[in-house]
Amino acid sequence: MEPKEQSKEKKEKLWFWNWVIASVIFRLVLIYFPKNLNLASRPEVSTPLTSLRRLAEGYWLKQLSMSPYAGSMYHGSPLLLSLLGPLTVKRIEGQPDHLLCSLVFVIADIVNAMLIRATGQNLQMEYTRSLKLLDHVKLSEKPEIIPSGDIAALVYLWNPFTIVACVGLSTSPIENLAIILSLYGACKRQAPLAAFGWVIATHLSLYPAILIIPMILLLGYGTDTPPRKLFLQRRNVEVGDNPPNDRCCEREEVVHRSEVPHVFSWRPVIHFFCWTSLWSVYVLVLCGISVKQYGGLWELFKRTYGFMLTVQDLSPNIGVLWYFFAEVFDFFRNFFLIVFHGNILFMMLPLAIRLKHRPCFLAFVYIAISSMLKSYPSVGDSALYLGLLGLFVNELADMQFSFFLFCGYVGVSLLSPVMHNLWIWRGTGNANFYFATAMAYACLQIILVVESVSAMLNHDRKLRKPLTELQDGKN
Amino acid sequence: MAESEAEVPKAKPRPIVRLGIFLISHSCLFSVICCTAGVLTLLLLPVLAKNTYISENALMPGSANPMFSSQEVSEANRLVKSLTSLDSKPVGSGIESQRLIAEYMSDLGAEISYHKFYPRSNQFHPLHFFSYPDSGSTRENVSCISHGLNTVGIIRAPRGDGKEAIVLVTPYNSLKVGPGEALSLGIAYSVFSLLTQVTWLAKDIIWLVADSRYGEYAAVNAWLRDYHMPVFSGLSALKAEICPVSNVHNELKENSVTERKINDGFRRAGTMATALVIKVTDGSEHFEDSLSIYAEASNGQMPNLDLINIVNYLAVHRQGLRVKVEKMRSLINCKWLKILGEILQSLGHVAKSLNPQWKFGIPAKDYVEGAATLASSLYYQALGVPTGPHGAFRDYEIDAITMEISSRVALNNKARKNDFLLRGGRLIEGVIRTVNNLLEKFHQSFFLYLLTSPSKFVSVGVYMIAFALLVASLPVVAASLYADAHKVDPSFGIDKSTPQASATDELSITPRSCKWLNAAKKVFLVHLWGAVVSFLPYFICQIPSCTPTTSFVVWVLLSSFSLPILSLILGSSFSYGRPSQPQKRDWTLLKSVTISAAFIGLCLMSVINFATAEIGALLMVPMCLMAQPLKLDIRSRKLRKFLRVACNLALGFLGFPPAGFFVLKGAFEGFGGITVGDFWSWLESIWSWSSATYLYIGMVHLPCWVLCIHVLFHPC
Repeated sequence: MEPKEQSKEKKEKLWFWNWVIASVIFRLVLIYFPKNLNLASRPEVSTPLTSLRRLAEGYWLKQLSMSPYAGSMYHGSPLLLSLLGPLTVKRIEGQPDHLLCSLVFVIADIVNAMLIRATGQNLQMEYTRSLKLLDHVKLSEKPEIIPSGDIAALVYLWNPFTIVACVGLSTSPIENLAIILSLYGACKRQAPLAAFGWVIATHLSLYPAILIIPMILLLGYGTDTPPRKLFLQRRNVEVGDNPPNDRCCEREEVVHRSEVPHVFSWRPVIHFFCWTSLWSVYVLVLCGISVKQYGGLWELFKRTYGFMLTVQDLSPNIGVLWYFFAEVFDFFRNFFLIVFHGNILFMMLPLAIRLKHRPCFLAFVYIAISSMLKSYPSVGDSALYLGLLGLFVNELADMQFSFFLFCGYVGVSLLSPVMHNLWIWRGTGNANFYFATAMAYACLQIILVVESVSAMLNHDRKLRKPLTELQDGKN
Repeated sequence: MAESEAEVPKAKPRPIVRLGIFLISHSCLFSVICCTAGVLTLLLLPVLAKNTYISENALMPGSANPMFSSQEVSEANRLVKSLTSLDSKPVGSGIESQRLIAEYMSDLGAEISYHKFYPRSNQFHPLHFFSYPDSGSTRENVSCISHGLNTVGIIRAPRGDGKEAIVLVTPYNSLKVGPGEALSLGIAYSVFSLLTQVTWLAKDIIWLVADSRYGEYAAVNAWLRDYHMPVFSGLSALKAEICPVSNVHNELKENSVTERKINDGFRRAGTMATALVIKVTDGSEHFEDSLSIYAEASNGQMPNLDLINIVNYLAVHRQGLRVKVEKMRSLINCKWLKILGEILQSLGHVAKSLNPQWKFGIPAKDYVEGAATLASSLYYQALGVPTGPHGAFRDYEIDAITMEISSRVALNNKARKNDFLLRGGRLIEGVIRTVNNLLEKFHQSFFLYLLTSPSKFVSVGVYMIAFALLVASLPVVAASLYADAHKVDPSFGIDKSTPQASATDELSITPRSCKWLNAAKKVFLVHLWGAVVSFLPYFICQIPSCTPTTSFVVWVLLSSFSLPILSLILGSSFSYGRPSQPQKRDWTLLKSVTISAAFIGLCLMSVINFATAEIGALLMVPMCLMAQPLKLDIRSRKLRKFLRVACNLALGFLGFPPAGFFVLKGAFEGFGGITVGDFWSWLESIWSWSSATYLYIGMVHLPCWVLCIHVLFHPC
């Protein structure tokens, strides 16, 4: 029996690695046909923030000892410029341009997938453990529990959005790497790593700043578990079950057992904050050094975060903001800027309260919301949250409208380039055609978030059901 | 507590959900109604067509008197005479005629340049549609032995700033100038000579004398490509390496009086507002002089409707020409169409007698004509192959049409010929003068329309209804099948012994919302196979000396082998963990996913090329909706079920692209002389024009057909 099990496990592992290698090969094949696909110029793939062509331009300006932010071409981080910039100018004879950068992105994608896998394994361990604690013994031993880490990693690697973002020379794999690194660090409760990831992610794309709440919850409470109430309920049931004589010792044990994952421990959180301040100072100093002659840190903030927050570039993308701010009167502009960005912040607190026992899922929801409402979204952001969605495949198995969402994503991602073509190259359509797909896309994301949250809450309810019935039976 | 929470929302679903549930539960009725309504609306389109009108006010067609007079006609005659005399000479090296035309042009004071081009072999650009026209054209191989030579003359507008231009195109075969071609050159020349003298010109005039030795389209396309893609020194050196520069220019210049005016370089004249392709045919008409308009460009793109309106208005109201657009001849004598037309006519009468305000009836004859025109309009748009050299312009967002003027009798009579030239010249002068009034591009009117006669059109808002009704049933049926597949599942018993067991069971059943993944996998696999099949001809074409029939056979064999191979490679590694037991009703899920894929594909295609999507929907929607395992139907021995089996088999046969092609071809052209290779040649012609229809057939229609057949023969 045992060797059979082992061989099966081995086979599954082999299966996983086969698919990982296949995805790498697929990417390399696509990298060698860049001209035919011309992905780098697609508005869905490269935004003003993530386009490698802009980065190369910025690097070129810097080489000419001009400010890399001159001419409103580059809006990314100066650190990325010094990391990726040298790679953009290096050409290998007979190889496609930007081969080295593409390789960096491929590696980033692989690392992302591995980190997602590790996070998933961590989550799954915790999931089985908490099920055991709740005496869902049968459930926890069933082979039905899908290895969510493997699934999520493969979903991330084989998601067409990820592939397109990787091959299409956008820097989003790097940004995703920072976000996933911080999540991974927080799941493993390694405060320095989490702080590093969070600081870099915030520095690169600003919006991950809101992940500070799930970070704190992750470090304080540990990874996702069923709500605390359930454990208390469970304890009550057990306490009521026991005869009074050996009550105290049993109770002690129960208390010990159930409270372990649920005490908010301040130590890692404080560590996290210390490390965060350390890393931020470090990053700021590095940035300050690199932009010293070009106007200092203030200029940097204005050209990067200011550019993101004030939505200066109104070229079309898959978000909804460009169209809106192209239409809105100038004197309302500031008001609506505040409204749109406040929208993300408004949703943070209620969600944090409702989902505080599942910080990883909370992080997923935050990422999905911010990638929907951010000023320059690209498919790379969707790739990230769709990959993270795979982590919760056990909990979200009963999600409604999954098929509808799948079809919607397929349809929209095919329709969007066609509409763009009609508008830009054929001249028979107009901006409304393209914006219609952007709206449909936003709606799909909203449905995805709403349905996944409600499925998660339903899952918690389901876990509570037997306990309540047990308790009712006792009473 | 939990139950009460769960029960309350169930009792009162939101109205939109209730509507959805109602539609899903009556999906069968709904789909029948929708499909019938869709077909009926399609048949009603000729009745619903509106009269065209000129929506851009600045155009003011026909507001000025024509200046084209008999003097210009004599100019035209001069050119025609010298061209025909040149043709009768034995030394027709091709260059002679170009030089003659250039001489005539330079006498008028126009700038002249020659444009040498190399015909390129047709190549397969599957993604051409999504990219800018001619990205990466530099790498294409050209044959250096043969080349064509276009002659281009430009008049600079006295009132213009050189930023805009109007193009006149006269394709002609430089090796042998036919009488019609000579006449079209004559008309263009006379208009050109008039335009050198007028003062009102605000846009430059380019006269492109296209050398149609290697096809009219190729010559115009080559010139347009060079017009829009400036060649810089580095690239020109590269080109020189490819093809040694022959001294055409020197050859041409040698004994030419016009030497000083011929430019070596490529001359340009700003953005093109409009292009008119002029052709003349003679002697084919019975009643009066007529004008045929060809407008379809690649992938069913049409020029702005205003351009057609102008030509139509001027031709009918000023020159008294009869304007025609292409129609499907075989439909005009169609019995059932006539009957339908009469029914509609009488319905119109009844409606009129009830309320005189209602005027939707049209005479039966008009209806039949309209339907035939509409069918041909749909067919040519669906084919995605341009109907003339004007198609090349559409790729650069320039509105262009081909005007084919044909005379009533053979033009031997001189007075008759002069009259014909006068009318043709005045028409073109009028069109140019009208377009000259234009401030920017054409943008007021429609780009998406179908013509039912030269003066009637169906706009996108109307014809989309027919399509929308036809495909509306697809998502509803998909949803109802999806819901069925989950409802029937026996593992969803309600009676459970203990609460504990119920909870665990509820959690441990295979995730029900993910059951569709298996079906989706299958559908994805088949669509992948469709992509492989559509790329196979690219390789088959490389095989030298292959007749269409053998190519077709090779293609079919390779395709049918590649399906099991693909499923072997991907199918085995796809299934992770335990393969789920083949369930009795998993065909419903498969059908549901197939229908969804068909829906997405059709909607996508309706945006790219409406006509293809409409014809495809007519074939595919009934096939997808009817598909049901034959075993189920045969088991229950009822007449209704047998009817369904027959329907399914017929639809499945028609849905197979080659079979459908042969049946349609036979129906319209007779079954005589159809060979297997015809389908291959037809497809080859489509893909060599990089039509989206080809991709549609390969990647949407064929996979859906395979999946439907799979459902039909599903073991259950």
